[in-house]
Amino acid sequence: MTDTQDTNVHFHTELEELERKVLSMVDRAEQMVEMAVEAVTRDDVGLAERVIALDSDIDQTYLEVHQEWTSLMARHQPLGSDLRRMTILIQLNVTFERMGDQCVNIAKIARFNSGLPRVERICEQIREMGDLVRPMIRTAIEAYVRGDVDEARLLPAMDHPVDRLNANMYKETVAVGGNPELLEWATKMLMVSRALERVGDQAVDFAEQTAYLITGERAEFVEDGMAGSTDDII
Amino acid sequence: MTNETTTEETTNPVAEETETPAVVRESSETADSRPKNLIETRNMNVYYGDFRAVADVSLDFASNEISALIGPSGCGKSTVLRSLNRMNDLVPSARTEGEVFYHGENIYAEGVDPVRVRRTIGMVFQKPNPFPKSIFDNIAWGAKINGFKGSKSDLQDLVQEALEAAALWDEVKDKLAESGYSLSGGQQQRLCIARAIATKPDVILMDEPCSALDPIATLRIEELMLDLKESYSIIIVTHNMQQAARVSDRTAFFNVKLNDSGMRTGRLVEYSPTDQLFTSPREKDTEDYITGRFG
Repeated sequence: MTDTQDTNVHFHTELEELERKVLSMVDRAEQMVEMAVEAVTRDDVGLAERVIALDSDIDQTYLEVHQEWTSLMARHQPLGSDLRRMTILIQLNVTFERMGDQCVNIAKIARFNSGLPRVERICEQIREMGDLVRPMIRTAIEAYVRGDVDEARLLPAMDHPVDRLNANMYKETVAVGGNPELLEWATKMLMVSRALERVGDQAVDFAEQTAYLITGERAEFVEDGMAGSTDDII
Repeated sequence: MTNETTTEETTNPVAEETETPAVVRESSETADSRPKNLIETRNMNVYYGDFRAVADVSLDFASNEISALIGPSGCGKSTVLRSLNRMNDLVPSARTEGEVFYHGENIYAEGVDPVRVRRTIGMVFQKPNPFPKSIFDNIAWGAKINGFKGSKSDLQDLVQEALEAAALWDEVKDKLAESGYSLSGGQQQRLCIARAIATKPDVILMDEPCSALDPIATLRIEELMLDLKESYSIIIVTHNMQQAARVSDRTAFFNVKLNDSGMRTGRLVEYSPTDQLFTSPREKDTEDYITGRFG
């Protein structure tokens, strides 16, 4: 079978359209991460409100994808790599919707923290986490689009510094001292750190789905030395 | 090899260890994890005259499993199925080479009675084919001509048991004297399954048994197959991949290959656990077929 002819053109056309719609959420999620981090570290409430507004676009796309996915499954009952791709698309749909939710959480903290005293060192660390997480989303999507399992396998290593910064944030929070307003601000920033760490995990999960699509084998990426890291208990 | 000579009873000796071809070994399962094989084919080739319809098929069919044979038209899957109980012997030009072991005995060995083989390895066809007799006699007559020697009461019990096993008893128990033709298509097919069961086989071959049935009747047959698996091995040829995915434990995919002379010969491409074959097939040809990318 060197010359294959697609006798399932209508399904594959719809599948590609569904895939485009799911992947359109990635750009939006990446943009929201950047805006949310900026809002919470620069005390920009207006930007935070825009993040919250953008999330309704992701939620709308999420609902449309869910409906179209259900219709495709009911009408075509795909098999093989088509089935794997469908399985991944519905999981990615949830992943990106949750990334959006994490950004909304950060934006709401930006709104809450506005006007409180702040520690620039913590802000810098949050910005650093944002700068680490966004390339993870980008790398995961590029691995998916290219079908590059080696690129997908880069994600755990990219996630490691994010986990480390998140674990360190607990110490930074404790170190702010007894000022109640500052402690309240720092405690909320700990939640921001946690949200960004979750976005990183979701990018790793995305890469694992990509590897499954390419190889047909389910496997969770594991990096040496990661098991039992302190961020697991925060 | 295809001469129909009556001989002594076929026995069920323990299957001898045979060299397992690569196509059978290439599975994620370990040999120990599978039930014992009831039927094993080794390098089976089937010819119609000079035309080789299928080539070098080596397959194992285990007890209490449903195995599905799928593939495009002309790939030889029905030919393979009919070779498993020597039904192809009824085609004058048909010739089978290689070996087909049933309980370890080569059913194509010299002296094996093909009639006895067909009796032991039952078959259900695409179109329901009840006898032009009553519902009762469809079961009883088949059993009697296949050597049933019990009393009238025993025969009644046999008919009831077979109809119950085929999930038909409740629908026909009050009209056993009516013609088999009075039943719906789905009921007729279950009657044919009951008829096959009545001869006490341990393997039932099904050649597209649902292709003439509506979706509800199809579901009933599929449910019946899953129930029958407790007691029988079932090998089914189907064009419906979703049906193979729903009911079978293992699936064999056949494809057509053109030889140097332009002849189309069916070959076994992949034989895998069904969930594996339909989600992550090993072979590109399988992937192309199940996703509709097929010339």
